[in-house]
Amino acid sequence: MLKIKNLKAGIEETKILKGIDLEVNAGEIHAIMGPNGSGKSTLSSVIAGDENYEVESGSIMLNGEDLLEMDPDERAHKGVFLSFQYPVEIPGISVSNFMKAAINEKRKNLGQDPVSAKDLLHKMKEKMELLNMQKGYLSRNMNEGFSGGEKKRNEIFQMAMLEPKLSILDETDSGLDIDALKVVANGVNKLKSKENATIIITHYQRLLNYIVPDFVHVLHDGKIIKSGGKELALELEAKGYEWVIK
Amino acid sequence: MGLLDSIEKYCENHVIKNDAITSFLKEGFPTTKDEEWKYTSLKKIVSDDYVLEEGASDISADEIKKHSLNIGEQIIFINGVLHAKPDIKGLKIEPNVLKNLSYEDPISALNSGLAKNGYSISIDGGVALEKPLEILFLNKYEANSFLQYRNNIIVGENASIKIVENIKNLSNNTVFVNSVTDIDTKKDSFLEINKLQDYSNNERTIDTTNINQEKTSTTTINTLLFGGAFTRNNLNFFQNGVNCESNMNGIVILNNDEVGDNHTYVDHKKENCQSNELYKGIYLGKSKGVFNGKIMVRPDAQKINAFQANNNLLLSDDSSINSKPQLEIYADDVKCSHGCTIGQLDEKALFYLRTRGVSKEDANAILTFAFASEAMDKISIPVLGDRVKSLMEDKLGVNLSI
Repeated sequence: MLKIKNLKAGIEETKILKGIDLEVNAGEIHAIMGPNGSGKSTLSSVIAGDENYEVESGSIMLNGEDLLEMDPDERAHKGVFLSFQYPVEIPGISVSNFMKAAINEKRKNLGQDPVSAKDLLHKMKEKMELLNMQKGYLSRNMNEGFSGGEKKRNEIFQMAMLEPKLSILDETDSGLDIDALKVVANGVNKLKSKENATIIITHYQRLLNYIVPDFVHVLHDGKIIKSGGKELALELEAKGYEWVIK
Repeated sequence: MGLLDSIEKYCENHVIKNDAITSFLKEGFPTTKDEEWKYTSLKKIVSDDYVLEEGASDISADEIKKHSLNIGEQIIFINGVLHAKPDIKGLKIEPNVLKNLSYEDPISALNSGLAKNGYSISIDGGVALEKPLEILFLNKYEANSFLQYRNNIIVGENASIKIVENIKNLSNNTVFVNSVTDIDTKKDSFLEINKLQDYSNNERTIDTTNINQEKTSTTTINTLLFGGAFTRNNLNFFQNGVNCESNMNGIVILNNDEVGDNHTYVDHKKENCQSNELYKGIYLGKSKGVFNGKIMVRPDAQKINAFQANNNLLLSDDSSINSKPQLEIYADDVKCSHGCTIGQLDEKALFYLRTRGVSKEDANAILTFAFASEAMDKISIPVLGDRVKSLMEDKLGVNLSI
C-alpha cells in the first residue's frame, strides 16, 4: 500500500529525514519508535503533505500513486489520515459542521452527492459510541477547550468517520490517562481491517500493549536503523534506545 | 463643479436659509485634517457632480418582491416616498415632519438643513411587535444624485420592536446618501435594529444613528456591511438613564476598492449601565477599513461595564484596516475592556482542515466563517442570519456545505 523510498526531507536548511525506506501493506500495523528529535513527527507531516517541509529526494507512493505530487486534501481523498500530535483548536466551527465539510468534500471528490443530515448524524452517533464520547460533543467547537484526552479521542473519531486506507497516529498516546488510552486503542483496533493499514508513531511502548503492531521500526537521526517484530518494542522499553543506537 | 458648489447653488435657487445649512456652508465637508475623518477621505466623493433635485423612475412590484427579505412586517419606501406600510395597532408610521432638527457636525448640519424625506416610526408604550419590521428602501434615480433622509424612531415605555433596514439602489447611476436617524427609547423598552448594508459599487453612504436611551432600556444595533464604494457609519449612543444596555455588533466584508468606516460612540452618563461592542472585519482586494470606537464614561456614571472588541482579518496584501479604540473614563468604579486584533488565517488550522480532505479554497472560507461566527451569532432573526450567510458566501466567492 505505502512505499517510501530513500526519503530525504527537512525544514529550511535543516536536514531531518536522511533516507527513509518503509513499506506498509494493507492489513498491517507498523510502529515507528525513536527518541525525541529523531524525525518521527517530520515523517508523518511529510506523508500528510505539510508544506513547511521540503522534500529533497526520494518518493512516497500510495497504491502506485505519487503522494508527493498531491496537495494535502488530495492525499486525504486518496485515503491518507494523520491523527495530529497537537490537534488544532478552531473556534467558531462545531465538530459536526467540521465533519460535514470533510465528509462532503470527500464525497464531492468521488462524484457522490452530499450526505444527508440524518445519515451523517446516525454515523456520528455510532462512532461516538465506539469511542465513549459525551453527548454534547458534536456541538462543541472543534478542539476548543478540549482536554488533552478529548483532543486525541476527537482525532480517532474523525478517523472513524473518514475511513482512511492509511492512518498515521502521531503520538496519540501522549496526554492520555490509562482509561482514555484503552478507549482510543479499542477504537483503533475495531477500525482495523484487511483493507487498511496503520502507522503508530510513539516514543513509548505503552500504547503498543493495546494496539499490537506487526512490525516495529526504530528511527534515529532521520534513518530507520532497526526493524523487527512486536518484541522489539518490549526490548526497547526494557533497555532504552541507547542499545540500538550504539 | 463639486458637491459643495451644487449645494450652494441649490440653496440660492430655492432661497433656502437656515442655521444648519449656514453652519455647514461655513465649514464645508470635513477633510482628513479633521480627527474624526483622519483615515477616510471624502475628497474624491464630494468632487464628483450630483443633482440635488431627483428625477426618479418607477419601481415594479416584481422588483419590490425580489429585494424583500420576507421577515415579517414591511414598510416600503420608493425613491424616498412612503409606498406601503403595515397596519398594526400601536405602531404609527408616517413621513417625517423634518422640523427643529439638531446637528453636531457639518455632515449632520447638512442633513438638518436640507433633508427631504424620511420616516417617523413610533411604537406605543407596552406594545411588543411580534414579527420583525423590515424597512425597505428602493431607489432608482435618473442621474447621479445626492440624497438626504432624516428618520425618527420613538420606542414607548416597555415597548419592544425589531427592525431590519434594507437599502437598495436599483439604477446604474451613482447615489450619495447622507442619512440621519434619531432614536428615542423610553424607559424599559427594547429595540433592535439590523442595518443590512449590501450596497453596490455605485453607492456612497454616510449613515448616522443617534440613540437616546432612557433608564432600563436595551438597544442593539447590528451593522452588516457587505459592500458599497464608500460607507461611513456613525453610531452614537447616549445613556441618559440608569441601568441602560447598549449593544453594537458589526460584520464587515469588503473587496475591490471598497471603503468602510465604522465610528461608534457610547456616552455613559448614568450609573449601572453597560455597553457591549463586537465588530468583525474581513478585508479582501484593495479594500480599506476603519474602526473607531469611543467610550466616554462621565463622572456620574459609576458601576459601568463597557466591553469593546474589534477583530480584523486581512485576506489580501493590498487591503488595510485602521482600528482605534478610544476610552475616556472619568468615573472610578467602572469595568472597561477593549481589544483589537489584525491578522491572517491560521496556517496550522488551514493545514489541519486540508488533511481532512477540505480544499484550500474551502478551508479558507470555513476559517473565515469561523472568524465571523461570534458576530453572526448575535443576529436574532433566523431569516436574516441565512441571508447574511449567503451574502458572505457571495462576497467570499464560495459555496459552503456547512
